[in-house]
Amino acid sequence: MAEKGGKGYSLPNKGGKSSLKSSSPKEASLKGKDDTSAKSKRGRKVQFNSEGSLEDNFNISSKSGGKLEIPPAKGDWSKGGKGDNKVNGGTGKPSVAKEPPKLELKIEPELPKNSKCLMDCEAAQMLEGIQEQMVILSEDPTIKIPLSFNRGLQYAKTGSHYTNPQSVRRVLETLTKHGVSDGEICLIANVCPETVDEVFALVPSLKPKWSQLRGPLSDVLSELAKLKHSTSSPSTG
Amino acid sequence: MFFHIVLERNMQLHPRHFGRHLRDNLIAKLMKDVEGTCSGRHGFVVAITGIENIGKGMIRDGTGFVTFPVKYQCVVFRPFKGEILEAVVTMVNKMGFFAEAGPVQIFVSNHLIPDDMEFQSGDAPNYTTSDGSVKIQKDSEVRLKIIGTRVDATEIFCIGTIKDDFLGVINDPAST
Repeated sequence: MAEKGGKGYSLPNKGGKSSLKSSSPKEASLKGKDDTSAKSKRGRKVQFNSEGSLEDNFNISSKSGGKLEIPPAKGDWSKGGKGDNKVNGGTGKPSVAKEPPKLELKIEPELPKNSKCLMDCEAAQMLEGIQEQMVILSEDPTIKIPLSFNRGLQYAKTGSHYTNPQSVRRVLETLTKHGVSDGEICLIANVCPETVDEVFALVPSLKPKWSQLRGPLSDVLSELAKLKHSTSSPSTG
Repeated sequence: MFFHIVLERNMQLHPRHFGRHLRDNLIAKLMKDVEGTCSGRHGFVVAITGIENIGKGMIRDGTGFVTFPVKYQCVVFRPFKGEILEAVVTMVNKMGFFAEAGPVQIFVSNHLIPDDMEFQSGDAPNYTTSDGSVKIQKDSEVRLKIIGTRVDATEIFCIGTIKDDFLGVINDPAST
């Protein structure tokens, strides 16, 4: 039975193995800006083994002149990037032991205000309805169904773990009164977590509300478990 | 992640399409122009779900074409940094592996694959743990986190990682 997720793959914070997260946020920056000045301030040489080859990898993957938005360490990786500078510069403590803050999901600023985040199960339901209409349209040879529609529908169906999207939405809406955003709710539904720890690991933006959310999340997950598709079909005689 | 949003677009229509089927022609042209396209702000437009409003047409000087402002609802798919996705592996090489989640391509570098997984070349290249218990190969389903995005004219390309807790292989095709 293949395992779901990689529980055993926790990041090595200590030790000399090359890992993005085991080095400081500055060293994690692909552009490597201001590294020399920061290094000299701390007075300790921290080696980021895979930095050069990592850049090469990303160059290989980029096709045209499109700009690859990798969050620089000072920006998205650490909200308090500037604060970190002050701390490190003042105390002189090595930042190797510090784990850089996890990348958080930020949807609201980037989309129009009237947009609604859809769970995969909701999107699958919507797209299946449209597909039925498209079957009629596809009889017209001049009309082509776009490839992204088929791929989107297939992805939504694969990611749809629940029998009733409306019930799932109702269950998860109870988290909104605890300050959980719509995007975070959809992410929890799509991920289909089994434990509360899994939710906090995959949605790090919820961690500040850990004590407040632990109880309600546990209730929500037990409700969601009842709404999941059964994975094993009963044998019929 | 999927979103249901309202977008607006100015549609130009040739006078030959005017008449009793003007609205139908306008909607057909909208679907042809918009569905399947991709933008940095909204992502992939997967499907148009409805028309909210069609404004009054303005005749363009000199050409006779008429421009209609059309507001429409659509389902879009856009990946975000920090999002957790379940993707299907399409190619594995020593630099990492490529995966697909819907219309989006994702690349996971070998630096963002756990250290205890090593590349095995051969007919079916894969990344395998030292004890052989976990394998990433073509058609494997993996859960990954998006850490970067790039938008071209027609597609979105992402960088992902599985080097975090609760990320990695969900379903190995060899074991099913």
